[in-house]
Amino acid sequence: MRIQILLAWRYLWGRKQRMVLTTLAVVFGVTLLFGLNAMIPAMMESFRHNMVTTAGKVDISISSESNNPFEESVLKDLSEIEDISFYTGILTKNVVLPESLGGTVNKLTGSSAVTVTGVDVATAQNVRNYSLIEGRFLEPNDTNATVIPQLLADKMELKVGDIFTIPSSEGVSDLKVVGILSLSASAGLDEIFVPLPDAQTILNLPQKINTIDILIKSGADRDVVVSSVLSKLGPNFKSGAIQTGEELASALTMGQSMMWLFGVMALAMAGFIIFNTFRTVVAERRRDLGMLRAIGASKQTIMGLIMVESLLQGIIGTGLGLICGYLFSYLLVSAVGNIFAGMLRVTIGAPVITTVNLIGSILLGVGFTVGSGYFPARSAMKVTPLEAMRPTLGSIEYRQNNRRAIWGLGLLTLSVVGLLLGNVSIAGLSGVVFLVGIILIAPVMVKPVADIFGKLISSIYSREGKLAQGNLTRQPSRAAITASSMMIGLAICIAMMAMITSIEHGFTTYLDKSLGTDYLLMPPSLVLGSGNLGVNQGFIEKIKSIDGVEEATSLRLATSQVDGTTLQLIGIDPLVYPKIAGLEFSEGDSVEAYKAMEQGSAIIVNGIFAVTNNVKTGDVLSLKSPQGERKYTVVGIGFDYLNAKISTGYVSQSDLAKDFNSESDLLLLVNRKPDATAEEVTPALQTVIKEFPTFSLIDSNEFKTEQMGMFKMAMSVFYIMVIMLAVPGLIAMANTMSINVIERTREIGMLRAVGATQTQVKRMVFAESVLLSALGTTMGILVGLFLSYLLVKAIGVIGFRTDFFFPTSGIIASIVVGLVFGIIAAMVPARQAANTVIVEALQYE
Amino acid sequence: MATIEVKNLSKVYGSGETKVTALDSVNVTIEQGQFVAVMGPSGCGKSTLLHLIGGLDRPTDGSVFIEGSDISKMSDKTLTELRRRKMGFIFQFFNLIPVLDAIENTALPLILDGVKPELARTKASEWLSRNKLDGRGKHRPDELSGGQQQRVAISRAMVSDPVIILADEPTGNLDSRSGDEIASTLRKIVTDWKRTVLMVTHDPRIAAYADRIIFLKDGKVVDDTLLNGSNGENAKRLKEKVESL
Repeated sequence: MRIQILLAWRYLWGRKQRMVLTTLAVVFGVTLLFGLNAMIPAMMESFRHNMVTTAGKVDISISSESNNPFEESVLKDLSEIEDISFYTGILTKNVVLPESLGGTVNKLTGSSAVTVTGVDVATAQNVRNYSLIEGRFLEPNDTNATVIPQLLADKMELKVGDIFTIPSSEGVSDLKVVGILSLSASAGLDEIFVPLPDAQTILNLPQKINTIDILIKSGADRDVVVSSVLSKLGPNFKSGAIQTGEELASALTMGQSMMWLFGVMALAMAGFIIFNTFRTVVAERRRDLGMLRAIGASKQTIMGLIMVESLLQGIIGTGLGLICGYLFSYLLVSAVGNIFAGMLRVTIGAPVITTVNLIGSILLGVGFTVGSGYFPARSAMKVTPLEAMRPTLGSIEYRQNNRRAIWGLGLLTLSVVGLLLGNVSIAGLSGVVFLVGIILIAPVMVKPVADIFGKLISSIYSREGKLAQGNLTRQPSRAAITASSMMIGLAICIAMMAMITSIEHGFTTYLDKSLGTDYLLMPPSLVLGSGNLGVNQGFIEKIKSIDGVEEATSLRLATSQVDGTTLQLIGIDPLVYPKIAGLEFSEGDSVEAYKAMEQGSAIIVNGIFAVTNNVKTGDVLSLKSPQGERKYTVVGIGFDYLNAKISTGYVSQSDLAKDFNSESDLLLLVNRKPDATAEEVTPALQTVIKEFPTFSLIDSNEFKTEQMGMFKMAMSVFYIMVIMLAVPGLIAMANTMSINVIERTREIGMLRAVGATQTQVKRMVFAESVLLSALGTTMGILVGLFLSYLLVKAIGVIGFRTDFFFPTSGIIASIVVGLVFGIIAAMVPARQAANTVIVEALQYE
Repeated sequence: MATIEVKNLSKVYGSGETKVTALDSVNVTIEQGQFVAVMGPSGCGKSTLLHLIGGLDRPTDGSVFIEGSDISKMSDKTLTELRRRKMGFIFQFFNLIPVLDAIENTALPLILDGVKPELARTKASEWLSRNKLDGRGKHRPDELSGGQQQRVAISRAMVSDPVIILADEPTGNLDSRSGDEIASTLRKIVTDWKRTVLMVTHDPRIAAYADRIIFLKDGKVVDDTLLNGSNGENAKRLKEKVESL
């Protein structure tokens, strides 16, 4: 093994430029794979954290069996439990405010009590999110300080710096208001927060707490954590907790699969590059290998030599890739973080390295490299000792690639048939088949493509163009492999651009339809299920009674389960909702569907749910409800803008009230009368909303513009990824061009000797590189068109139906990228070729 | 027992119209400590004979015995081992690994045989110094002259203490002075180290260093001569012989 390592390392070191280029490809692939996947857990973690904290709920709440306070010293027992992310002890109790202290100030809520919650200042913010609109949160040295909700501050007319007096076990406690929280998320009483020791004094419960809030690690099994907590604390404790954010987490899991796909594709491209390089390496070293065989190296030693070389590159590339990946993820998190912060009010933390991502990236990075070296290594093994005796000549492929091309053609035909069948999984498979088909057919495409584009180049540089054409066609397999790696990059580029154009179009359509009203009365969070508080019927009645309001309708919310899948239920008014908004249907007739909903026990499900649970119109679903299982007939598949990404079912509001006890309105859609102006209606709406501060009034047009802006921002991240995926193609080209130049040093020397100028040699290399990129671009456009059609159809199948837009911009971009890459890739090799010292080149072996 | 014994050895390349008989029932016996040169015009089969004796290629017919063992029937593994331990090769184009220095290149056969690196390096250095390459051990092939490179190759061939040295046009890529140096080194290997050397050459001046000359023509042995005069006389004789053949 020592000799293999020594030789592998020396050979790599001896060809630094090539080593850098091939290793770079691996670095790039691992960077994408590792980086993108480090970002997703960060997003998921933040999502969970945000949702549970804004909802005022945590993963696990532990209290005593008898609901009595307990010693705060039990907390230290929890530090040993591995899957706990954070925990904090809380002492909370309702305190009645006597009239003398300002009780019963607000007639509307009639609140004459507050909930006093003592928090451990050091750990409280890890578990819950206290969003302040003024002042600051409690600090470790605070005593007799409090943070109060805005509602209470308004009611009691308190500002930061004022004193809020509450009854205490010691008479009264004068608490200095240090901060004001934004809207109170919890129902019922206003909750004020004080340092734990203060609460213990106020309530006369020294060293006591009555709740432990726990946030578990993302991905940890909640039940396992609960049982380990309970077994640690003993039988006097119980758990009462909720789980939120499941629906969005599944959308993020889908996103994660996409990221893996991206990374693996980048690595596959790296694989092409490495395969190509090692094939050339073996060809170049035939004489060395032959000599080693002659002096007694076994076949396995020779194979091991190439494998160790690829292993070394794999290890170096993967190592660097992991470092770059973390940095990339960090940058991405900062970039995406802003979009998220704007869109979903979530802040994202640092990238998270999961064991799966780390090990997966290492295995894939090293695996792809070693795997790509395997076939060249096998062919190295077959080099006979006689090779040492023969002078080497630049090899020319005479072998006909026709048989492979016939296979390729067959696969292409199959894939087109697969696409036409319309089944999404068959279509997905046909995408892969198409790719393989193109790769098989590529070597025979080299000559015709080189002929066509060669003519173009020859019209500019007649002599060099002809030479370049000949150089390219004498190694069609190598040209085809290089072009293949470029093809993948460009194909993804085209497919993504087509998909983005199509989605953008669909997005606008749905946005118009779902939120087509003049006003939206929105809850604090855009994601309906994340802890928003509904209001009773009185609110919509008040809105409807406003002069100038033509119609208003609401969305209500409940949760159910179907065969173990969580299903968000949205209650709509089947009479009014279609008039002023409407769902986008991908299956079923809208008129019939709403009519069926009026009659009851009818449900419209969205595409995500329909696809993942294989549900069709006419199926009967068994929904879990507080009243037991209820049968609902699927009358259509459709969705609205806000709930497109989460498994959702739409039922009538009367069904929702009857079966799921939900009668609160969560979001309102309001239309003005045609003759009413915004100036008349908006102030009236704002007046009503003041009484219901959980709602904010949003002008639909402004909202749509804002949403479109965010959509474009989110898509720009995609564009960045698309560009990054095209880069390995450039590396592949530069690599092949430099190999070509090294391999033909002698020929170039001969050309210079017989009178070729430096410029002519340079032009020849440039022309060859441009021809190579022309081949890659042609293949890329073909595959890109196929993939884009496939992607748009696939999105349609999961419910987001949109028309296919021919990716003209993508194709133009690809041609430009192809040409530019062709030129960039040739820069260094062309200079090298031009600077060849004739005498040395003629002696070059 | 002869060191090398070739019996009815034939090698045919291609078939049908493109069939070429490179060797046609050749019989040769070479004793230990002999320096044998194989001569003949281009395409006479001299390199093929060397390849078959060295186990680099398989005969179409006949056998090659090395120290009594028939190598034409050996498995690739056994043959590889035999080449590693009993044979040393010297090539026309030196065939040194460009990324290894002189010591590492010389030590290759030992390292391939699993000898401890330190011991392999010591032995390699000894052979380099015997071949007047003191102080050149750390130099890579591109930092050495042609003659020096070939002396590294000779050191590599000798380092594993082989029975036979096979040299294929060892001076073909060198100027006459370096060629003479290499030829006298080979002579020394036979005289001082009692090894058997089989050398293919077309140069009578180089062949004159040998004890015995085998002439091949159209794949057949046409002459087998023992030399006993001075180098100059031998060279002259050989030149005449080549011309007459």
